[in-house]
Amino acid sequence: MSNTVSLNTEKLLHTPSPHLFSKRSSAWIMQQVLIALLFPAIAATYFFGWRVLLMIAVGIISSVGFEYAYQKLRGLTITIYDYSAAVTGMLIGLSLPVTAPWWSIIVGSAFAILIVKQLPGGIGRNAFNPAVAARVMLKVFFTPWITNWVTPEPDVISIATPLEYVGHFSRTVPEEVPGLWDLFIGTGLGGNVGETSKLAILIGLIYLVVRGIINVKIPLLYILTVAIITSIYGDYSFTYMMTHVLSGTLFFGATYMATDYSSGALTPDGKTVFAIGCGILTAVIRIVFNFPGGVGFAILIMNGLAPLIDKHLAPRIYGHRKRPAQEHQL
Amino acid sequence: MLLQLMKKREGAYTVERKRRTEHKPTEEASVPEYLIYPLSMHIGAPAKPVVEKGDYVKIGTLIAEKEGFISANVYASISGQVKEISDQPTMNGKGPCIVIKNDYQDVYEAPLLSEGEELTVDQKKSLIEQAGVVGMGGATFPTSVKLSPPPEKSIDTLIINGAECEPYSTSDHRLMVEYAEQLIEGIRVLHEVLPVTKTYIAIESNTHESVAVMKAAIEDVDHIEIKELETIYPQGSEKSLIKNLTGREVPPGGLPADVHTLVTNVATTFAIYEAVRLGRPLTKRITTITGEPIKEPKNLWVRIGTPIQHLIEECQGFQSKTGKMIHGGPMMGKPLTSGQVPITKGSSVITFLEKEEAVRSERTPCIQCAECLHVCPVSLQPILISNAYENGDIDQAEKLGAMDCIDCGNCSYICPSKIPLLDNIRSAKSEIKARKEDN
Repeated sequence: MSNTVSLNTEKLLHTPSPHLFSKRSSAWIMQQVLIALLFPAIAATYFFGWRVLLMIAVGIISSVGFEYAYQKLRGLTITIYDYSAAVTGMLIGLSLPVTAPWWSIIVGSAFAILIVKQLPGGIGRNAFNPAVAARVMLKVFFTPWITNWVTPEPDVISIATPLEYVGHFSRTVPEEVPGLWDLFIGTGLGGNVGETSKLAILIGLIYLVVRGIINVKIPLLYILTVAIITSIYGDYSFTYMMTHVLSGTLFFGATYMATDYSSGALTPDGKTVFAIGCGILTAVIRIVFNFPGGVGFAILIMNGLAPLIDKHLAPRIYGHRKRPAQEHQL
Repeated sequence: MLLQLMKKREGAYTVERKRRTEHKPTEEASVPEYLIYPLSMHIGAPAKPVVEKGDYVKIGTLIAEKEGFISANVYASISGQVKEISDQPTMNGKGPCIVIKNDYQDVYEAPLLSEGEELTVDQKKSLIEQAGVVGMGGATFPTSVKLSPPPEKSIDTLIINGAECEPYSTSDHRLMVEYAEQLIEGIRVLHEVLPVTKTYIAIESNTHESVAVMKAAIEDVDHIEIKELETIYPQGSEKSLIKNLTGREVPPGGLPADVHTLVTNVATTFAIYEAVRLGRPLTKRITTITGEPIKEPKNLWVRIGTPIQHLIEECQGFQSKTGKMIHGGPMMGKPLTSGQVPITKGSSVITFLEKEEAVRSERTPCIQCAECLHVCPVSLQPILISNAYENGDIDQAEKLGAMDCIDCGNCSYICPSKIPLLDNIRSAKSEIKARKEDN
């Protein structure tokens, strides 16, 4: 056997099974999310212009920068190469209207990364979605600067959002509201730049599902729940229901935010309850209260409830009658 | 389709590497000068040697006798002389073995039964026991024990396991393609000794050829159904098969007989055929020798006791460097560090991996993707058990069902953060066991 490679038994690995590992890494997963966010980013740039690109850049650079600085100063392992901070930054950049001042993006990033993500211990340990928490915080504290619902350039004017017409106990859709097709494509719409084109978000959603990054039941059940509740409330008016489904942050939040691993539910049944819960809260907040941002609040509330949901919905183990009793600890 | 996507998978789509050997007919492997027979090539008590140094043995001579209820006989697979009884490397580390020097005469011992003999049910069961038949899918549990459950656990369902889910293995597939008739005869034997009312032959859908051959073979046999199953690991695990085919679940710590089911691997079924119809003890089996480093991967008929090194040469040696040599497949197999380890009754595949394939990248923090929950065939929460173990909370690990883990390896395979989930669960299990023994 002179021409063959011999078996050097001393160099053989002898770690226990399994002996093969999936090629996916956490960084690869985050890269896929960034790719999926490109679709709404492209649409936003088309509708709102080049400033969108700068918003995204400021979001990513500040988020990654804060994470790096925090970990460097505290002597922790630098985790910016897992791209999760970049995902947060890109989400923040896309979560604000085109008129949002630069400082608001940086303040949002600082809040998301330093307080929401790093304080509890970094990636995988945050109870709340950093980007959602940041946008809700900005909405609550900095309203005049960033909630102007502006239409695309050149006529930057502030008008009411479609949700202000269909929300707050209204059961019909007034004529001022854009048509369903415009809501879907995103033409002539204002709002936070990333969430205007539902078509672009849908493409991103399909990409994430095909790549196996997100569980399709979360966005599906979330949107379906909102559809069912608004349908019943709106006397089964298709236009009323679809205006709710296609307006605001619902598509964007259901695709990119409710699907966040760390802040969502871990268990399969928990994910179902989590998604339906997001849907119920979103619909209720929209119908009862007269303010935008229902999706953000709904997701944050469900984030807070997720550990409790998981605790009660641990999967039933093969051969056992009941679900295991457990403490949720991570 | 959407519902399909929303369902929990209870398995992982691992790499598919059967193509190397799927269409290669079995070949008879040559036999080396020395064969090594571990006394413990089955689950249970080691067999007790009944030969001494210098004794002459034939193919089919009993060389070690089962000791106790859960144990199995061991037979010589060559004719020649007992060289020594000593500790040799086996797949479970060094252990007592009988070493026989080949005289290359291939003299056969008389079969365990004479031709044309009418057998009672008990005689048939006894032949299976005598022949040393054990679960040849890798578990190596003595088959005779499974055939005689207590009366309240009588078997009504038989599952013939041809769902070879380890990604490289094709030995069961080739057996089905080439020996369908004998397999059906083996199933008939099982029907004769067990009160079964339903028989399933489970085959993964990726091996079309074996599905087609087996379908043709069962045409005139009653109560048999071929179940073509999704190619998903670990489809062929006993517990998954029983649940997927019968809807029954084996209770924690229990056996398939608890739910009136018997699962036998196709290779075992073939051995049952040989024992009861031909009176032949178990002395050879089909083993797939495969993996990227192997120059010419093959499905070989191997005499039990043949050292792996000899089979590497049968496959023209290596074309690249081996980083890991595995007894079994890459998901559940045992790593080996010596080419002297012999093929035993449970050796369905020997897998060779290049170093780059087998190395786990550096661990990063858990991102809570929940993939480990998704792929667990018994619905555990692997990351939570792993965390409990790492936090020193063994009670919590037990509450979370660590003892229900079937060691399939899916969690460690899928984890994007490369957390050693199964290693931690195994450690938790052994601590739980150790505690129980202390009390």
